[in-house]
This record gives sequence, structure tokens and C-alpha cells, in this order.
Amino acid sequence: MRRTKKIHINHHYEFELDLAPLLAVMVKLVPVLLVSSAFVQLATIETQLPQVVQQAIEKQDKDEKATKITLEVKDKEGVKIVIVKNGKQNIEVVPKKSDGTFDYVNLHLRLREVKKQNPEVFKVDLSPDGNVSYNDIVHVMDEARRSRDNNVKFPLFDKTKNQEVQTDYMFPEITFANTMEG
Amino acid sequence: MRRRFELPKKSSTFALNITSMTDMFTILLVFLLQTYSTSDVQIIPEKDMRLPASSSSTNPVPSVKLVVSKELVKIDENKIASMKDLNFESKDIDPNDSNFILPLFTELEKLSKDESLKETPAIKEGRILLQADAALPYSVLRKVMYTASMAGFPQLKLVTLVGD
Repeated sequence: MRRTKKIHINHHYEFELDLAPLLAVMVKLVPVLLVSSAFVQLATIETQLPQVVQQAIEKQDKDEKATKITLEVKDKEGVKIVIVKNGKQNIEVVPKKSDGTFDYVNLHLRLREVKKQNPEVFKVDLSPDGNVSYNDIVHVMDEARRSRDNNVKFPLFDKTKNQEVQTDYMFPEITFANTMEG
Repeated sequence: MRRRFELPKKSSTFALNITSMTDMFTILLVFLLQTYSTSDVQIIPEKDMRLPASSSSTNPVPSVKLVVSKELVKIDENKIASMKDLNFESKDIDPNDSNFILPLFTELEKLSKDESLKETPAIKEGRILLQADAALPYSVLRKVMYTASMAGFPQLKLVTLVGD
């Protein structure tokens, strides 16, 4: 009878992994990623500007019954929310804080209430004073765009699915209304 | 005579321990992958310019890049006008229309009439990517918007830093 050869396995055998090829790949990858990395993340805010011709056409097609909301950013008073609904005008003012800065928290809460009352409106006109800083304008736009509270949603009817959906968007379409004024 | 001390002869090759270096590179690679930019438009912020921060996270799309800082106005990399006291210089403003910036209109019109650029989406749809300093007053931006609109660029995208 043939004897089977016994294979001896050394369980305590140690070996060193050759990391040199892995390191070579990493050394090549790091400069590539360094070049294409964005350390300062930038985004954009989309705004629609009314063109002179477009404005004239829009004026003709304008639905008189639609609710119109305008945010007048006043340098001295604060933010004026002008709501024109069924021909009636309602003005609310969010005054500036005692330190002279805009009260963004209060403005956001007020806009949330306005949205609850007018869930069908997604567009607001922005009309800032000439001396209001760009930084403040972007802040006001931020407060109007979407709800900061994740629990606060607004109903929206989806025609394709024929059902009501919830959205955190308040007024995502912001138009600079006074661009063409002199 | 005293005999010189001689070191025993050894093999000159030695194995370098690169484990710690590989660890370091792995961490670096993960960090760089996190900051990797997937946007197809590269925006290099102008020196000494402070952009406003916004919660918007829309990625920039290919557009005509317009920079309005406290010192100058640039289209792509070409300086077209200078700024003085957070406003345009009087020589750059149309005497008949206080909102009309002459060099900006000339430059934008040149771009819109350029035959080689005419079919690009940025020119066709009239898109502008505006980088403006956060300290600038709205009156300056209004002039830019008004002039851009007149030159056939009605779509303005405001560049902001991500974060509240």
C-alpha cells in the first residue's frame, strides 16, 4: 500500500505584504485628485430676469386673479411683504432688529404663514432698495426659498399622479421686479 | 602600529517599511475623494472677493462668467471696467440712461454676435454666471442685470458659497 505524503502546514509562518505597487498607485492618484478637488464649494441661485419684450408679453397674458406676492427689502424699515389677492392688498412689515440687521428668523416665520395661506403661489417678486447689500438680498432669498423646519411641509397637487404631495419649497421662483425701473 | 577598526561587511540592500506611508496615503485619498468636484464648470473665485453664503446647492451650468468685485468688472478673464467706491465709474455709465453700463453691453453684444459662439447653449439661452462681492449694494447689481438683459442675457445665475 502506497503511503500518502503528509503535508506539513506551519501555522506560525509570517510573511510581509508587498505594499510598493499599492503605494505607487496612490502616489499617482493623489496629484490627480488634488488638481480636481474643490476645497471651496460653490453653488448658484437661479433668477429669471424679465426681458423687455418678455415683460410686455407677460403683462398681456397676466392673470388678474392670481395672488401676487412682493418682498420689498427696505434699508431702513425692514422687509415689507405685499400680498395682492383678489384685488385686495395686504401689507405686512418685518422690521429690522435693534442692532440694525434684518430679522431673518421672523421673516422666515412670516413667509411660512403666507405660504400656508397661499399654497398655490410659488413665485415672489423681489424689490430691494438700491443701498441694500447683495449679502442681505441672498439671505432674504434663502429665507423665502424653502422651509427650514423639516416638519413643516406644504400641500401640492400632482396632476400626473392625481394625488396630493407635500413639499418643503415655499417660493422657489424669485424674480427681481425692479430691474427695469429707472 | 595600531590596527584600524573595520566594520563587518554586510549586504547593502535593506527593506524600507512603507506601511505607515501607505496608511497616510489612504487617509489622504479618502479626504480628496470627498472633496472631489463633480461639477462640469470650474469657478475660480476672484482674489479678495467675498461671495455671499446660501443654502442653495444647485451646480453651476456652462454660462458666460461675469465677475463684479469691489475693484473691477471682468468677463471670463478680461477686465472690462473698473469700480470706484462700490460703484461704476461715471465714464462707463451711459449719460442718457443711469442703469446702462456701456463696456459691459459692448462686450456681451460682442459675445452674442460671435459666429463661433452663437450656437453654444450659454449664448443661445443668454446665461450669465455672476460672481459679485457680498458687500456690493443692490444698485450695482441692478445695473448689471439691466445691461445684461438689454444685451440678450436674461438668465442670471448668482454664484454663492455653499452653507448658511
